[in-house]
Amino acid sequence: MPLRNTAENYGSLAKLLHWSIVILIIVQYFIAEAADELPDGLEKLQVLSRHKSVGMLLLMLAVVRILWKLANKGQPVPVGTGALKKAAAAGHGLLYLLLLLQPISGWAMSAAANYPVTFFGWFQFPALVGAHPGLHEILEDVHSVLFYSLLAVAVLHIFAALYHHFAMKDDVLKRMLPLGKRTG
Amino acid sequence: MNTSPLRLIALPLLAAAATAAPAATAWVTDAASSKLTFVATQAGGEFEGRFARFTPSIVFDPADLAHSRFSVDIATGAAETGEHDRDNILKGKDFFAVERWPQARFEARVFRATGPASYEAAGKLTLRDVTRDVRLPFTFKRGANGKSAVLAGTTTVRRLDFGVGQGEWIDTQWVGNDVRIHFDLNLKQAPP
Repeated sequence: MPLRNTAENYGSLAKLLHWSIVILIIVQYFIAEAADELPDGLEKLQVLSRHKSVGMLLLMLAVVRILWKLANKGQPVPVGTGALKKAAAAGHGLLYLLLLLQPISGWAMSAAANYPVTFFGWFQFPALVGAHPGLHEILEDVHSVLFYSLLAVAVLHIFAALYHHFAMKDDVLKRMLPLGKRTG
Repeated sequence: MNTSPLRLIALPLLAAAATAAPAATAWVTDAASSKLTFVATQAGGEFEGRFARFTPSIVFDPADLAHSRFSVDIATGAAETGEHDRDNILKGKDFFAVERWPQARFEARVFRATGPASYEAAGKLTLRDVTRDVRLPFTFKRGANGKSAVLAGTTTVRRLDFGVGQGEWIDTQWVGNDVRIHFDLNLKQAPP
């Protein structure tokens, strides 16, 4: 499988980024849920710190994913015509936007509470905003709303892929599967 | 040991006479523009907090270090880190235990010059029920009229030396042991 995307198939790097992001978002959800259950204490600090580090990793992966998409001119484009094709393009645009905004809102939310954000303790990211309790509350809501928006668009994304595979019987799903090969 | 009544009375009197004699300049701290902050580490990242209430008593004269002295009372319950839950943990029994020990105190009577406007105080810091020696490097800069001055310095203490962080909080991987303390005091000469 080539590293770069081709007109018919995503390359190994795009696939790796796509599926790492999927897995890490699921992991993030469970880390966040676990943190919510914990009383204030060392364990909560550990769990939330991991959530922040993984979130910053997701932000970096999303940036690389988008840059890689831009660098691959001949990559697969949405299949179909008219409104559906436009909807697919818009859906992907929204997904990329949410993949950026979700970690950025968490990063800002930490800064508003004067919590440092590090990359697994190796280095510290600068504070995005000044410490402000009111802003922290707002960003907490924003972070939550963005998650459910991301979830909603991701569900549409999955249904669209399944629709292509089972109803339209094209290669749209297969071209992003980890070991997917074109049949036709 | 001789514990005659006369000696018991005479000793404090002598001590009072010794400290009262040639007064080094006493300063009044402007609370609004002065600050006492700390930088601590959690999960490998630094954050700054502050003590919103502290009462410095500063007697300092670069020309009379022998009679200079600092004493600072710090309201541990006024520790602020910008986030409510963390503040509560900090004030709780495992850290400052403010209900039991509402005051921390720094006292210094030994000073030496280390440069043109820089000095070092050798003092004692009491936090919770632990008192330890702390060296405090600082600068002292008089204003143009000589009636005001800025006293600023930074020192690093290890929180576990004072028992700040009991139980699970002894862990220093997630909450660093070193805490950098910084102060910046705006002083005005006290009326004689």
